[in-house]
Amino acid sequence: MKIKRISFFCWIVLLFSCADSNYNSTGTPVPGYNEDAVQSVVIATDSLKTFDFVHTRVEQIKAALLLPMPVLLYRDSLNAQQRLAQAIALFDTVFTQSVREKGSNRPYRCEIFGVYPARESDMEYIKTPYQLANCYRVELYNYGLNSTAVAIADIGQQKVLANAFQAQTQPDIPPGLKDLATKIAVSSPEVQQALGMKPGDTDALMASTKTSLNRTRCERSGHLCVAPTFVKDGRALWAIVDLTDYKLTGLRWTNVGTTGPAPVITEKKLQDDKITSCFCELETPLQRDGWKMNYMLTSSDGLRVADVSFNGQPVLQNAKLVDWHVSYSGTDGFGYSDAVGCPYFSQAAVIAFDPPVVKPIEENNKLIGFALEQSFKSEQWPNPCNYNYLQRYEFYTDGRFRIAAASLGRGCGNDGTYRPVFRIVFAGEQNSFSEWNGAGWSNWTKERWQQQLPATSYTPQGYQYKLVAGNGTGYYMQPGNGQFKDGGRGDNAYVYVTLNKTGTDEGETDMVTIGPCCNIDYHQGPEKFIEPAPEDIGNKKIVLWYVAQLKNDNTRGREYCWAESVLENGLYVTKSYPGFCGPMFIPVKQ
Amino acid sequence: MWSHVYTGKAISTMRNIVLFFIICAAIPSCGENDKVVYSDNNCKLVPPFVGRLGFNTKNALFSTSEKKTMGLVLIESADPLNPQAAIIKKYQDSSWKKAGWLAPIQLDEHGNIFTAPAPFINVLNNPANDQNTIYKVNGQNGHMDAFVKLPAPDSSTDQNPYGILGMIYLCETGSLYVSTVAGSNRRVEKGMVYQVNAANGEISAKLTGMDIIGMGISYINGERRLFLGRARSSGVYSVALNKKGNFSGKPELAFSLDGLGTRGDDKVRRIKTNKDGSLEVHGMEFNFNLIAPTEKQETVYRFVYDEKQKKWVHQ
Repeated sequence: MKIKRISFFCWIVLLFSCADSNYNSTGTPVPGYNEDAVQSVVIATDSLKTFDFVHTRVEQIKAALLLPMPVLLYRDSLNAQQRLAQAIALFDTVFTQSVREKGSNRPYRCEIFGVYPARESDMEYIKTPYQLANCYRVELYNYGLNSTAVAIADIGQQKVLANAFQAQTQPDIPPGLKDLATKIAVSSPEVQQALGMKPGDTDALMASTKTSLNRTRCERSGHLCVAPTFVKDGRALWAIVDLTDYKLTGLRWTNVGTTGPAPVITEKKLQDDKITSCFCELETPLQRDGWKMNYMLTSSDGLRVADVSFNGQPVLQNAKLVDWHVSYSGTDGFGYSDAVGCPYFSQAAVIAFDPPVVKPIEENNKLIGFALEQSFKSEQWPNPCNYNYLQRYEFYTDGRFRIAAASLGRGCGNDGTYRPVFRIVFAGEQNSFSEWNGAGWSNWTKERWQQQLPATSYTPQGYQYKLVAGNGTGYYMQPGNGQFKDGGRGDNAYVYVTLNKTGTDEGETDMVTIGPCCNIDYHQGPEKFIEPAPEDIGNKKIVLWYVAQLKNDNTRGREYCWAESVLENGLYVTKSYPGFCGPMFIPVKQ
Repeated sequence: MWSHVYTGKAISTMRNIVLFFIICAAIPSCGENDKVVYSDNNCKLVPPFVGRLGFNTKNALFSTSEKKTMGLVLIESADPLNPQAAIIKKYQDSSWKKAGWLAPIQLDEHGNIFTAPAPFINVLNNPANDQNTIYKVNGQNGHMDAFVKLPAPDSSTDQNPYGILGMIYLCETGSLYVSTVAGSNRRVEKGMVYQVNAANGEISAKLTGMDIIGMGISYINGERRLFLGRARSSGVYSVALNKKGNFSGKPELAFSLDGLGTRGDDKVRRIKTNKDGSLEVHGMEFNFNLIAPTEKQETVYRFVYDEKQKKWVHQ
C-alpha cells in the first residue's frame, strides 16, 4: 500500500513537471584554448618575406597598372567567346567605374577572376531580350577596395546587359591563384616545419599529404586570402595565404571534423586565439642582455612587465599602461578614454592583433639593448576615429631602461591631444623621490603631482627626478623633451607619486578606466589616490604615475600622431607618423 | 469552528480523493489549455509623454546609440525608417542618463519603456554593480527609475564588462525577457535569460548557463518560440514558450550565422519577425570587449522556415 502511494506521488510529480518553467544548466565550462591555438603561428603583419616565384606576377601587375585600362586579364585559358565577353565587359564604363580612385585617378589593382556562361539566375533582373547561350558572367576583383564587380556580357549584342557591385566581397578564385597559394604555403619554412618536412622538399610534401583549398577570410587586412589545407594523420593544417601580399599569414592545426563541419580558421580567429592563449592567460619570461623579467597582456592595462631585474638587482615590481585619454579641443567634452588589452573578454576598446615582439636596439651598428613592443589597433585604422597605439619598453646593456608609448593616429580630427597614463612600481620597500630644483635635489615628503613645463629645471644631463632605494641604488628620471631620436616632441607630462599601501589595491590589479577623456589639467585619474589628504611617502614604497600629453598634427611634412592611407601600386598603403613619449631611467651611480 | 474526528481509514480515503481532484486539475494544464494562439506581438504604444512634449508621435523614436549623448534620447526623424533621414529635434529627460550608457529598448502596451545599462568604449559611467538592473521610463510622465535588479552573479570578473545585453517583450503575457552575461568569463558561461513580469517586476522563470545577446519571438507550427542569439558563437537557439510565456522544454539550435556576411562570425543583436513569418536577424560583431567601430558593423540577414526540410534557411 505504501509503495503504491509512493508511486502515485511520483506520477503526480511527473505530471506537474509539464509546467516546469525553468531550463537549468549549471555554469557551463567553455573549452579552454587548446594546444592547437597555443602552437599556432602568426606571422608579423610587417613581415617582408617574399618568394622568388612571385616576382613574375608582381611585374605583370605593375605593367597592368600602367595600361589605360589597368586590369589584369584572366590568366587561365579562355575560349574565343569568353575572351570576347571579357573584352565587352572591360569596354563598359559602368563595369569599370571603380578601377581608378575617384579624384586622383590612380589605378587600383584589379583582376578578372572569371568568365562563366551565364545561368538563368543571373538574368533575373534583365528586361531586354537576350539569348542565354550568348551571355557570360564576368567577375572582376578590386584588391584595393576588396570589392567585386560582376557584368553580364552579351556577345551577340556586343554589350553589357547588367552590372552588380558588392563591397567587402571576393569572387571565386581562379585556378592559377589557387595554385600560387598552395605553392606559397608549401614553400614556407613554417609549413614545412609543422608537417615535419625538410626545408625545400616541396614535392615530398605534396606527395605525402592530402591537400585541399579552403575559403577563409583576412578580416583585418581586408586582403584576399585562401587556406591551403594539408591533412596528415587525421588532422588538418590550415595555412592562411594572403594573395594580395603573396605571403603566409599564419597556420594552425585543427581536428578534421567528425561530428560536423570543422571550424573555419580565419585571420582574426588565428590572431585572437593565439594572443589570448599565449599572452593573455600566462606570463612569458624574457631574459636578455643582463635583464630578466616577465611580461603579459592584460585585460585592460596593456602589456605589463613584472619582476624586472638587471644583473640580478631588482629594478621594477611592475609597469603598465592604464589608459589612453583622447580629447578634441574643437568639441567640448568630446573624446575617448580607451583601455588597451586583450582581444577577447576584456575591457579594452583598442585591442592587440599581433603578439608582442622583441627587437634589438642598435646605435652606430652596435647592439646597445633591446625593445619589447606591443601594438593595439582599431580594426578599421587608419580610417577616421580609429586608433593605433604602440607600447615600447626599452632595456639597455648599460642598465638604463625606458617606458614609452606612441600614438599612430588617426583619431577623429587634427585637434586631438593624447594622454597615456603609465603606472610604474619600482622594486624596494623604501624609496625616496626627489626633484631637481635648479640647485640641488629636493625631496618629496608627501604624495603630490607636478607638471613638466617650459620653465621646469633639469640637471645638465636632462634629469628632472631621482628615485633612490634604501641601499643607495636608484634611478634618475628623464622625461621626454624630444631627445630620444624617435620623433617625440616633448611629453609635457604630469608626474604623480602615490604611496603603495599594503592591502590596498590602487591600480595593482587590472584597472577599469582611471579617468575621463577630456580633462585638460591634472585630473587624469591618479590624483584620486592623492586627494583630499596626501599621505607621507618618505622612505616608503611608492607608485609613480606618468601622464604625457601629445598634441596631434596633420600639417603636411610635420605629421605627428597621425596616419593616412595612400594608394600605391594599386593598393592602399598606410603611412603612419607615430608620436612617441615616455621617460628614460638612468642608474644612479653609487 | 469545525470540529470533527476522523478515523485513519477515512483520512486516507479523503487524501486520495483530494489528490484525484488535483490530478484532474493538473492534466488540463499539460494539455489543451497550454495551446498558444497566434499573435503578431505588436502592442507597443508610443508613450503619452511624447505627444505632450510636442513631438510628432508618428515620427518619434528612441535611441541609446547616440555617440555623443549618453543615455536614452527621444528623436523626431523626417523618416523613422531611414537611418540617414534628417533629425528634426531631440530631447533627453535629466533622468535618462542616470544609468550611464544604455543598450536594449523595449516598449509595452502602456507606452512604458524598458532599458538597461551597457558600457560604451569604457566602463567609466557604467559601474559593475548596476550592470544587471532593468530601468523603466514611465510612459505617462517620462521619468526613468530603476525597475528590477536581477540577481547578481556569484562572482565578478574584470574579463567581462557586460551584464544585461538583450530584451524582448511578449505582449500577450506582459512578460519581458531579459538576457544577461554578468559573471561570465573566458572559461565559464554563466549567462541567464529571465522572464520578468513587466507590471510588477517579478521573475517568473529563467534559463541558466547560456550567454545570450539578441532575442526574438516567432510562431512556428502553432508553437510560440523564443529565439536566443548566442554571445559566444553565431548559433541561434529557440525554446518554446507556453501560454503563460514560461520556457517549455530545452533550447534547441535553430540556425546559425556562421560564415555569413562580410565578417562571417556575427552574433545576433536582435530578431524581428516579419509579417510573412520570415525572421529579420540583425548580426553584429561581438567579442566581450569594448571596441566601438566607427561604422556600425551590422548586417541584416533574412531567414525563412522551410516546411519540407523543417528548418530555417538563409535567403
